Amino acid sequence: MDRILESIPGKYRWFDAVHVAGRSTPLSFRNNRLHSLSESESSGFGFRINRDGRTGFSYTNDSQRKAGAVERAYSMAPYGDPENFTLPSDTTLDFEPYDPAIDSFSVKDEIEAAEKFISDMKAAFPEISIDMGISASSGVMRLMNSEGVDLSYRDSYYSVSASCVLVMDNGVRIDTWEGKSDLRPVDYSEFKEILIEKIKRAQVQEKIATGLYPVILPPQAFSRFAGIIASGLNGISVWKGVSPFAGKLGERIFSDKFTLADDPLIEGSPYKIPFDAEGVNVSRKELIKDGVIQRFITDLKYAERLGTEPSGNASRGFSSLPSPSFTGVTVEPGSSSFKDMIAGIERGIVAEQFIGLGQSNTLTGDFSASLDLAFLVENGEIKGRVKDCMMSGNIIDLLKGDVHFSSERERKGSILMPYTMFPAVSITV
Amino acid sequence: MNDRFSEAAEKGSTLLQSAGCEFAEIRFSSGVGTTISLSGDNVDSMTSGESLAGSVRVLKNGSWGFATFNDISSIERFFNSALTAASIASPDEKSRVARSEPVSAQFRTEPVEDINIITLDEKFELIKSYNKILQSSPKIQTTKAIYRDVNSRYLYMNSEGSRLSYEKMHCGISLTSVAKEGSIIQPFHESVSGYGGYEIVRGREELAEKVVKIAVDMLSAEPLEGGTYDVILDPRLSGVFIHEAFGHLSEADFIHENPRMKEQMALGREFGPAGFNVIDDGSITGLAGYIPFDDEGIYPQKTYLIKDGILTGRLHSRETADKMGETVTGNGRAIGVMRQPIVRMTNTYIDNGTQTKEELFDSLDDGLYAVDVIGGQTNLEMFTFTAGYGYKIKNGKPGKMFRDVILSGNVFNTLKSISMIADDCEMYGGLGGCGKGGQSPLPVSYGGPHILVKNVLIGGRK
Repeated sequence: MDRILESIPGKYRWFDAVHVAGRSTPLSFRNNRLHSLSESESSGFGFRINRDGRTGFSYTNDSQRKAGAVERAYSMAPYGDPENFTLPSDTTLDFEPYDPAIDSFSVKDEIEAAEKFISDMKAAFPEISIDMGISASSGVMRLMNSEGVDLSYRDSYYSVSASCVLVMDNGVRIDTWEGKSDLRPVDYSEFKEILIEKIKRAQVQEKIATGLYPVILPPQAFSRFAGIIASGLNGISVWKGVSPFAGKLGERIFSDKFTLADDPLIEGSPYKIPFDAEGVNVSRKELIKDGVIQRFITDLKYAERLGTEPSGNASRGFSSLPSPSFTGVTVEPGSSSFKDMIAGIERGIVAEQFIGLGQSNTLTGDFSASLDLAFLVENGEIKGRVKDCMMSGNIIDLLKGDVHFSSERERKGSILMPYTMFPAVSITV
Repeated sequence: MNDRFSEAAEKGSTLLQSAGCEFAEIRFSSGVGTTISLSGDNVDSMTSGESLAGSVRVLKNGSWGFATFNDISSIERFFNSALTAASIASPDEKSRVARSEPVSAQFRTEPVEDINIITLDEKFELIKSYNKILQSSPKIQTTKAIYRDVNSRYLYMNSEGSRLSYEKMHCGISLTSVAKEGSIIQPFHESVSGYGGYEIVRGREELAEKVVKIAVDMLSAEPLEGGTYDVILDPRLSGVFIHEAFGHLSEADFIHENPRMKEQMALGREFGPAGFNVIDDGSITGLAGYIPFDDEGIYPQKTYLIKDGILTGRLHSRETADKMGETVTGNGRAIGVMRQPIVRMTNTYIDNGTQTKEELFDSLDDGLYAVDVIGGQTNLEMFTFTAGYGYKIKNGKPGKMFRDVILSGNVFNTLKSISMIADDCEMYGGLGGCGKGGQSPLPVSYGGPHILVKNVLIGGRK
């Protein structure tokens, strides 16, 4: 801190600095065998300074050149936009997103578990090819500012993913995966059953004609669509006027069953944070409640621009300026179970994976994507795979209309979502 | 910083001479860059930063160990941790690498206008002037104009005795206008980048004018109805088409340890019509996918992936080439020294055919002209790619403009539906790039001539 103060060449209104450092141990299995083991160490320093209301920024990851970054940030400040917010001084640290169990990560045990996983999968499908990534990391994030904040917290992160490829005799390719992340090493043996069932089903091909069908999106798949909605709730796109929700605070836009929140405190999530990257304290916030737009996510800059309280959503790496982003996205569950949803469908689709989703004009909610992995539902039962067709529509319109959420939810990474059913979605063959 | 870089390099060189394993390599990089990002009337960010990175990759007893760091002065420690990592497991099935002769060379970008002598003020004024053009219609809601340059230094050394260095200058702009009318919001985006100096970004007013015009025009374009169409792809889209519909399939790491994929991708298989040639060539200087050497110390080359419609080659890293008993192609690439090289494309294109663009249009009574690109993706069986926009063609003449043109197909069949190939190949590559294995964006370029593809599935509501 003292060294930073010494390096500042002249007068300033405020400054803040982040210092991040971390270590990780990623293991990689390719084509059913251990391919590589890595050790990774990295650190970086980012510095932001406000002179006469304008802000400059610079960074370095060379620990001997922090003073240079401070000087560069200072000299760039006059190019910045006027910014009149102040930095927080009341930042509190209630917990660390860290579990000491991360230290129990054992490379040997992980290799053994992964080899067992692969051999079990091979027993089910001798021709299968599996890639796995397993990683444990821990680090420290330190935030300092001119208002007296100097806090640091440890973080830990464990992730595992298993990706299976089975190429059938007719050239049809089944490519599917499961993954999870946590604050500490966790068991993932349940992936086996899930993957085996998906692959078995996918080996049977079903036919479907162009038309409108009920479509169920499992939590992971739905999160990609919820992400399109979430980007419209970002203060940046609201302020720029490119969000379909700009100027619609308090308006009912969606079905009253739809409640979406930003939650930086999701239990077990390695993405949870005690305060945001500018030191603003965080909490769970409903952004859409019963279909009505409640608020948008902001950092200090966009809170000032939009004339609201900062929502505690500033996010930054050491090499970038803070910017509003989601720390966790949750959608409230509904009343019926996934099983009951399926049971109620005469002819429909469960769509798990897409190709090309998000390459449409997502600003307006449009989508059109090829079905990568999807299953036919017939007379209340999940059947084989439907492929070579595209699903199109507008996610805002779909969530306005008749939509059903399951009673159960799953956490995948930083999202917590139910299964979601839309009664009529366009499928083109 | 230069002294520490050289000092670490000398230490690394000594370590490599007595590595005690099958293969080892050290990579170092340092970079200084400037980014200016404007949006509407605002400066979103203006950043200048520097980075330093190093990695060691070793192959010991058939197992890879990899260490990454930014404290390059502790190279000995990290060299040892890579060796230790590789020693933890002793797999039954061992990785091996294709060998190469030691090479030593120094490469550098030769800019016309060195970015280091251009002042920050000048860069700021230039991108501001483009941003002004992007705002030049009352229908423009907001814009994004980004200028980026990087000066970097890269050193590659391996236990075979190779030592390669590259002083790189890279520069580019990305221009977006977002038009709005009522509830319709239409963005349009263009980007140029390359290895060179300020000449790459100067004088791009026409590009900015095109962006604002198309964004505004698209407000009145209707979404295209889903169905099957005969489609003429413009050179940029034909490039994305070949990148997604075939390029990824030719990356040998998808093939080398999968017997079924090997059968599917047997050299000699017919993939497209006679006269259809697909090439990957990392040696074309100036293009976004240019590399003087790959990240395994292999020189790039011109590789024919498809010649006269027949599968004739594929892209290799050292490991896949050894496994398949084929020769290396210089396609082992990583997005940075902190990542391990995997098989990637460089500059990939469909070669010129013999027909003219006019002949393609004249042959099409009822179809679609798809232009420009938003993106693409493949799962190695199916692919999709999204055109910026398109025009219905009636009797060889482009008519009404349409938006939301999302094309899809099967990688093994769709190339056979190419019925005509024009002679006007052009190459593209902006500030973005290609993503694979969590490594994105890797600079690549892609291109081709106008091509006519029959019976393409396009998604959309009826």
